[in-house]
Order: sequence, then C-alpha cells, then structure tokens
Amino acid sequence: MTRTVVRASGLTKRYGSFTAVDAVDFSLEENRIYGLLGRNGAGKTTVMQMLTGQIFPNGGEIEVFGRAPAEHADVLRRICFIAESQRYPDSFHASHVLKAAPWFFENWDAAFAERLVEDFRLPLNRYIKKLSRGQLSAVGVIVGLASRAPLTFFDEPYLGLDAVARQIFYDRLLEDYAAHPRTIVLSTHLIDEVANLLEHLLVIDQGRILLDRDADEVRGSATTVAGGRAAVESFVADRAVIGREGIGGLASVTIDGRLSKADRIEAAGLGLELAPVSLQQLIVHMTGTDLRAGSTEQEVAA
Amino acid sequence: MTAVMDRPLVRTEPRSRFQEIWRIVRLHAVTPSVFFGIPWIILGGAWLVMLVIGIIVTGAGADPVEMREGMRYSWAVLSPQWYLVAVGVQAIGMTLSFALGFGATRRDFWLGTSLMFGIVSLLNAIAIATLVQIEKATVGWWVGISMFDALWYGQNGWLVDFYTTLALQLFVLFIGASATTVYLRWRMRGMLALAAGAITVVLAAVATITFTEGWPTVFEWFNGIGVVGVFTVVLGLAAICAIGGYLVIRRATPR
Repeated sequence: MTRTVVRASGLTKRYGSFTAVDAVDFSLEENRIYGLLGRNGAGKTTVMQMLTGQIFPNGGEIEVFGRAPAEHADVLRRICFIAESQRYPDSFHASHVLKAAPWFFENWDAAFAERLVEDFRLPLNRYIKKLSRGQLSAVGVIVGLASRAPLTFFDEPYLGLDAVARQIFYDRLLEDYAAHPRTIVLSTHLIDEVANLLEHLLVIDQGRILLDRDADEVRGSATTVAGGRAAVESFVADRAVIGREGIGGLASVTIDGRLSKADRIEAAGLGLELAPVSLQQLIVHMTGTDLRAGSTEQEVAA
Repeated sequence: MTAVMDRPLVRTEPRSRFQEIWRIVRLHAVTPSVFFGIPWIILGGAWLVMLVIGIIVTGAGADPVEMREGMRYSWAVLSPQWYLVAVGVQAIGMTLSFALGFGATRRDFWLGTSLMFGIVSLLNAIAIATLVQIEKATVGWWVGISMFDALWYGQNGWLVDFYTTLALQLFVLFIGASATTVYLRWRMRGMLALAAGAITVVLAAVATITFTEGWPTVFEWFNGIGVVGVFTVVLGLAAICAIGGYLVIRRATPR
C-alpha cells in the first residue's frame, strides 16, 4: 500500500500579471523518486516553494502529509528543501550549516554528512559566499541526503558539479534511498543526467503540467524514424508526430506511442531506421516552442 | 520505517514548542561573532581610543576634571548600536530564508529571534551598567577618562543604567528586524509606504504641537518623566516593533 504524501489541486501562483504556476493538479506517492522537469522559468522552483510553505499560492489547494504546509511545524519538520538559490547568512561557513542541521532534521546522519563532505571535497571553513557554484550545490546535496527527510527536494542539484561529483551524487542517492526509502523530488533541466534515477516524471512548462507519468512508461514510448523523406512521411502519416527534422532528401521524425512488431517489419521493409528517443530528447520535443503547436500536448498527455 | 501504516500522517514524536524556538536562538548563535564578537570589538576599540586620548590629554598637562566633564558628551558608549541595527536587519533578511529552508515556521523563527534579542540585550545591559560602575570606581581606568560614565549613564545607579541599556538595545534590534519583515512581505513598495507613513506621523505631530504652541508642555512632560520615563517610551516602541514584526512576518516570503 502506498500513501499519498503530496496532493495539489488547482494550484496557482501569480506574480502580478504573470502566471508562474497555472492551476496544476498532481500528487506524489510515498517512497518514490520524482523528476520535476522543465525549462528555465517553467515553474519548477515555484511549485517546490509552495509545497514547502516558503511562498503562498494565489489559488488552489495543497496538502503535504495531510495538511497545508505553510506555518505547520509538524509538516515542515519532515521536509527538506535546499533551493538552488538558497541564501545563507553572510557569516556562515559550510561547517555552520552542518552544525545546525541536526537541530532541524530529526533523522540527520552526521557520519553520512561527513563522508559526503569528503566525497565532494567541500571546504568546510570557507565563507559560503566564497564557494564556487559547484561547491554551493554540494552543500545543498549534502544537506538533502544526510537529512533523510521523509520528503526531500533537490533543486537543480547538478548545477556546477563536475562529472565525478555528479556520479557520486547519483550513487549515494540510490544507495541511501535503498536503505532509507523516502519521497524524493529532483528538479532539473539536465534531464539525461538523472534520467535513470527517476521513477516518475512530472514535466512542467509555462506553469502547466505537460506530462505526469511513470518513467518506465515514458522510456521507449517515443521513437525516431529516419530515412528517405518520402518513405518516412508515408510511415508516419497517421501517427502522432512530436518532432520533425530533415536535410535535403533525408528526414528524421519523432513519433509518440509504442511500435508493434508489424510496425517494425513495415519500417524495415521501407528501409527506415528506428531509434529510441531519450527522455531529454522527448522533453525537448514537448517543451520546445517551435514544435509545440498542433497535436503534441494532448496526445502526449493522453 | 516500520509499522507506520496505522500511524496518523501528521503527528510523529512529540517535540516541545520550546525546543523549536530554542533552536532558532542556537542558529543565531552558531556564529557568535555577529551578536557578541563584533559589537564588543567595536566597543573595545572605542575604549582603547578614549584611553589613548586620555593619556595624551593628561600627559599634555590639561585639567583632568575638565577632561572628564568634556568626555561625558562623547557617544563612544553607544558606538556598537549602529552596527546592531544592521544585525537586526540581517537576522531577518538572511537568516529567515535559511531557517525556512530548514523547515522552521515563521512564527517560531520570530519568537526565537526575539528571545535571542532579549538575551543579547540582557547581557549587554548587565555588562554596560557594570562597566559604568567599574569606570567610576577606578576613576576612569586610572587615567581619568569618562567613556561609560557619559551621557545619561552613571547618574542614577546601576539599576537605571541597566534598565535604560536594556530598553535601548531591544529597540535598536527590533526596529531593524521589524522594518526588514515589511520589506520581505511587501518589498520596496512596503518600505516606501512605511517610510512615508513614519514621516507623515512625525510631521503631523510637529505641526500639531507647533500650531497649538505645545512645545513647552512637551518639554515639561519629558522633563517630568525623566531618564527612566524616556526609556520606558523607548521600551514601548521596541514592544510595538516586536508585535508588529510578528504579525508581518507570518506572511513574509524570502527571496
């Protein structure tokens, strides 16, 4: 039995005439890893700020652990959200952050935090405002992992991290998640890096949810068909096209929906190449402005 | 997580309210230089300068009694107060955002911050009032200066010095903190409205008193209430800032 940790309905946030989050509905189940994906300014951080009571919605309802999060200590103590743009007091070193963390997170594992500090080579006795972007991300990642909060948000955890650090994050997150299951929400626009971590996807664009589906369903749900233009066009004629590229007589078209064995045989007969579409490519197709028009939205979300 | 299925979603292990407030005090004190180190370095620096001036002046053969009298008008004893307004501002402007990220509520944050302000004010008041007495007992640290025994200090005994410092200290910290809550809730628009409102109130008061020729009465009233009375007014203003800040911060949103 899984329990619902977060339930949002009609959730809306406006800044003046700009609608950052536009009446979205979604829910998060206990002990899963969610990807909150979308372009810069899509509304990812705004959604997380509302879920953690840092900002107040203009409309709709949120329930986190059964009630509205803002100003409810018994909800907030089970949440960890270190924003990508988190501000720290000027006088703080990373060591002060780690010293204060156990006062706020009851499941804090100091030994784990220490190990992560070594893994990420985070300088503890330097002013936080003097840290590089990657080191700043590491502070958030370490707090997020070692807090073991039942609902943990990682906001753009990869920003500025080098390849080794990204791999460490990936490994430690999976290890620790296996030992201490919890609900994790990862927001990022670097999709391929985290694609294999994610169990469920929420794709958000211009304040709306474009896709809310299990990652396994989404993986392999789209295919790129490449070959001679005429052959490609005839093959995709009555399929949901979500992306189209071409040079001269060659075309490469991305279609939504799984292909049957008959489809594959037909494609082979036409001399077409079929390639799986990565999550990142799929989302680029879905949220790229030039291809948005037409069938994309409805059919992908169906 | 074992046997969690029957447990209600919200309530977990009890955690006392005081603990939630006390951790904010600890958060403010995790870098003790901000509330304690730097103010006392400023005050110590001012004291050292006064001491050197005292040695120079008496060394040049000036009248020590006259020097003591002149130094009574120095504001050196108040030197850390300007910095402490900024501490009040930063306690909200920077630490609130951090505390919210760590899952504190705005209510507990404000209560914890107020408790921190109270502790700092209490310690500073005890220290300053005691330093006034030491300065008097040692006749100006054996060089005849008058730094702590200045302005209204040193006239009415330890308790009055303690009370006035406590009131002033609370006011200085809370005015910075409460003005910052206005900024966090309504941004620049709120700050402008607050400034315009404050200026309007002051000008209206000045105009009313001037047109009713009430200035002598006002001065008389201030004379009547004395040093203790004036600082009770200051303490009242601090309390207004503290309550106002509590109301405003409940819907404040840090950047």
